[in-house]
Amino acid sequence: MFLGRVVGSVWSTVKWPEASGLKLLLVRPYCLADLAAQAGSAGGGSGGKSTAGAGAQPTDDLVVCADRLDAGPGDDVLVAFGHAARVAMAGALPAGQKPNVPIDAAVVAVVDRVEIDSA
Amino acid sequence: MIRGKIIGQVWGARHVPGLDGRKLVLVAAHDAAQAPTGRVVVAIDTLDLRSGDDVTVAFGSGARNVLRPGPDNRDLVCDAAIAALVEGAE
Repeated sequence: MFLGRVVGSVWSTVKWPEASGLKLLLVRPYCLADLAAQAGSAGGGSGGKSTAGAGAQPTDDLVVCADRLDAGPGDDVLVAFGHAARVAMAGALPAGQKPNVPIDAAVVAVVDRVEIDSA
Repeated sequence: MIRGKIIGQVWGARHVPGLDGRKLVLVAAHDAAQAPTGRVVVAIDTLDLRSGDDVTVAFGSGARNVLRPGPDNRDLVCDAAIAALVEGAE
């Protein structure tokens, strides 16, 4: 799983029938420097916290993931990959349909709170 | 699996049913020199560890086996889990 921010959505009209009705979001994964910056700003005056991962650039690609939790742009979300993503989407499928949809990433939680203790 | 250090925790009240009651921790991946690579993953923690602990994180079916040994665990919503607390490495 990874933590990321929803930055947009994707839609398509030509796709496998199993994928019809699925809402697809674009998510940008947070890297260590992002989280360290957030922790620094949340700490108010404490600032000056060294960011060990400062040298690492956020080069991760955007991830397209299915969503059944009605997340939207600006939301922080948890995204699961692989079989866990298909199982997570199972409840959103028509009754009786097996979780064999052609997806490999899905939003599994909309994040309320992130606590960073050290970076 | 990867090696890393727990740096925090994540909460989300709106989640899929399979994540009920799971403790979710943020793990910063480490490289061979034990320096952070910048990559951060979220893993299910069944060992009740704390920030600063060095851990290994298993992915995929290996992660599901941490929660419930297979083979009948394909209903679990889990693609990353803390597999071990690292006490030493060289």
